[in-house]
Parts: sequence; C-alpha cells; structure tokens
Amino acid sequence: MIGRLRNSAAFWAAIGTVALLGFWEAFVRVRDVRKFVLLPPSEIGSTFLDNPGFYVDNIWVTARHLVVGLSIALVVSLAFGALLAAVRPLEHASQPLLVLILVTPWVAYISSIVLWLGRGTPSIVFLVAFVTVPAFVYATVGGMRSADPAARELFASIHASRWEVLWRLRLPSALPSLFTAARFNVGLGLAAAYFAEGAALSTDGLGEAGRRAVAFNEGSILWTTILCTAVLGILSQVAVLLLERSLLHWHASQRRTAR
Amino acid sequence: MSSGHDDGIHAAGVSKRFGSVEALSPLDLSIAPGEIVTLLGPSGCGKTTLLRIVAGLEPLTSGTISVDGLTPVSARELKRFGLVPQSPALLPWRTVEANARLLQDINVDANPSPLPDVVELLDKVGLSEFRSSYPHELSGGMQQRVGLVRAFALGAPYLLMDEPFAALDEITRADMRHLLASLCEPINTGVLFVTHSLAEAVFLSDRVAVLSSRPGRIVGTVDVDLPRPRVPELEDDPAFFAIETELRRLLHSGAGR
Repeated sequence: MIGRLRNSAAFWAAIGTVALLGFWEAFVRVRDVRKFVLLPPSEIGSTFLDNPGFYVDNIWVTARHLVVGLSIALVVSLAFGALLAAVRPLEHASQPLLVLILVTPWVAYISSIVLWLGRGTPSIVFLVAFVTVPAFVYATVGGMRSADPAARELFASIHASRWEVLWRLRLPSALPSLFTAARFNVGLGLAAAYFAEGAALSTDGLGEAGRRAVAFNEGSILWTTILCTAVLGILSQVAVLLLERSLLHWHASQRRTAR
Repeated sequence: MSSGHDDGIHAAGVSKRFGSVEALSPLDLSIAPGEIVTLLGPSGCGKTTLLRIVAGLEPLTSGTISVDGLTPVSARELKRFGLVPQSPALLPWRTVEANARLLQDINVDANPSPLPDVVELLDKVGLSEFRSSYPHELSGGMQQRVGLVRAFALGAPYLLMDEPFAALDEITRADMRHLLASLCEPINTGVLFVTHSLAEAVFLSDRVAVLSSRPGRIVGTVDVDLPRPRVPELEDDPAFFAIETELRRLLHSGAGR
C-alpha cells in the first residue's frame, strides 16, 4: 500500500500542492505581507466562499471567451495552414505576417481593437483568436508536411483527390503537433482573454473583475480572481490533455512501452 | 473489356533522365495479364524508377507504355494498380483492418465490383486475431502482410511491388515470399515485382528481367519454368539453383562496364 503510493504520480503531486500552500501561507503570515501584494491561500478561500457565484460566473464568461477564441483560431489556422502546406511560395510570403503577430505585444494594440470592433466580447474573442493563430498555423503546416512520403505515394497510386489526401492523411499527421500548439495556446489565449476583458470595457469576465479590484484597491478580490484564472488555466490544460489521450492513443508520445 | 492485343502492360523504348543523369536507357518490357514478372537488379539501377513510371507516378523521358490500352496515368486514375511500397506505410491511427481497407476507401468511384473481402484476406495471411490492433503493435513482417492485403483488397488487375520485403530478416523474407505466391496464384493478377533477391525472383516469377547498374537496361530475361503452385520445398530443387545461377551470371555481366 505504502509502496504503491510511493510510485503514484498523483500522490506526489498532492504532496507538492500541500507543501506549496503551506509555504505560501506561512511566508505571508510570518513576513506580514500586505494584502495587495500577496494574499495567503486561507484568505483567498474565505474571500471566494463569501461570494462564490460571482467568481464562478466570471470563470464561465472567461472560459467562453477562451474556447470561442481558440476554436475560431483553430478553424482559420487549419484552412490557412492547409493552403500554405500546399503552396510553398505562399508559405514564404505569409511569414512576415505570422512573425509580426507573434512578436507584437498585444498589450499595446488592444485599445485599437476596441476602437475598431467595439467594447466587450467581439474585441476579446478577436484578440484571443488573433494571438493564437500563428502557433496553430505553424503546427498545421509542419504537421501536414510530416506525412509519411511512402503513404503519400500510396495515395497517389490510386489517384486520391486533394481533399482525400488532406482529410485522410495530412490532417491526422498534423494532430500531434496541433496538440502541442494547443497546450501552448491555452496559456497564451487565457492571458489574452484576461487582459482583453480588463481593457475592452466589458462588464464581466475574470479580467474585468481583476481590473475593478485594482481600481477599488481590493487586494483580496484581486488575488481570488487571479487564483480563479489559474484554476481555469489548469482545467483547460487538463481538458487538452484528456482530448489528446483519446485522439492520439496511436501516437508514440501517448504510449508507456517502448514499442 | 478491352480487345485482345491491348491486354497487358507493354513498355517500348522507355527511358528516363533526371537532369543530366541517365537513370534508364531505352528498354522494352511486357507483362501479360496474370503474369508475374520480376525486375532484378542492384540497388540504384533504376528498377524502382521503372516501376514508378509504369504506375503513372513518374513521367518518362522517351518511349511509350500502355496498360490494357490505357496510359499509365489513366490506368492509375481507374485504380488499376495495387501498389506495395518498400516500407509498409501503414497509417498509425488506423486499425489493421482499416489499414487493409485504405485503398478501397479512397477514390471509391473507381472501385471494381465486387471488391475482395478484406476480412477473408486478413484471415489468409494469419492476421484475423489482429484486425482491431494498431500497426505499432505488430512486428515488421506482420506490418508488411497488412501492406500486401491492402494491395490485394483493391482487386486491381496489376500489382506493383517495390522491394516489399527488403527491410525484413532472412527467415521472415522466406515466409513472406511463400505467402505472396499463395496469394497470387489463385487469382489472375499481373505482377511487376522489384527485388534484388535471387530467391524471391526465382520463387515468385514466371519471368525475370535482369537490369544492369545505372543507367539501367535489361541485360537478359529468364523464363522460370518451375511448376505451380510453388511450394517452399522447391527452393531445395536443383532446377531452382540452376535458374538462380543463371540470374547471378546475368547480374555480374550487367555489373561490369
């Protein structure tokens, strides 16, 4: 029993979580850190329990922004990526755009987006989709190109249509890299959603709750919002991981044994 | 069906250049319907190139090829070729049975009817227990057996096999050529088989064309008049050795320049 526990990943993750929370709590109390700088976990818990509906509602709003934004980005990237994978000159020509999206700080141009698309959801979803497109496009192009050349020859030998090659060969070949990109994009998209909610003059969402907490100097609400955002991020990662496990069960990355 | 003299694959004066490299010098080759013809030659002699030209996957530099009166590209569009590539090229996300059905599932309008029964074919090659397994769960020999079934499942009049057993160990290779002979013999399918193995060439073929090293040209053709069905015991027969020896002699004459 003890031996089994010693080998269980979940057991050690639980130990690590308890240790982290204990250290955090002790550090804040011993050093007497101000509420606004860092709140101990016990107070985050009680702040959350004071008004759980408020936080849960805002988690839902932000989760929707994240999921809708990522879905749009994925659809756009698959179509765009498939095109780029097929036409090399177009791939080269699109590099400046993709790199520009990647390196330009979205913090800086969010107000222009709000001015263009208006306040609230449209601007938020646009930003999430916009910043997550490059990683998805790179994953699509690279993954589709990685399709087994012998399998491509096999498809050609019976005159498979472009659509059949795309759907039955290239897209499944791109799944592993798409999932890697998805894990990265969940974190990026959540940050973008949180920031855009605060900046897009929306009326709800975790980012807006956090912005108001800062404006009204409410340290405990701010930190509870931050932790709620982190929990949403973890849940999203877990969701991607579970989806990856079920869809990529055939892939070497998902196997425990050598073969 | 097409008229008599159109039947079969006929290559006349076929040559191929890649830029300044001459891969194949003009050669003639015919495969009658149901005939098993092997291209035997050293690696790099252009035998795979010739197979790809016949399959309509590679344009030729000069000459003509007719496949039952069609151009290679038209024949490819009509799914007249069951290709067995050198690597099994199984799709890792498909089960064994789904992989065996792959060529049936694509370009379905050109499928013949009735299609061969995939389950029956998998049973014949000893894979019925593995129908719902995934490729990574199979050995190399088993994977290539799925590759064979996939090609046979097409019900095509011609099979094009590009050194399908080259990556296998010697013992598995022997099993595979015996299995392939037992699959080919009952059906009237023309086969173009590419190999550098003498034993495979003799055991499987009705006729063996020996290619020289690059640029590839046919240095000789040997008829294999061994009884069918070919049984494994045949490989201990003096007649078998005699043909092997003849082929080896032709190979050596083609290697010298």
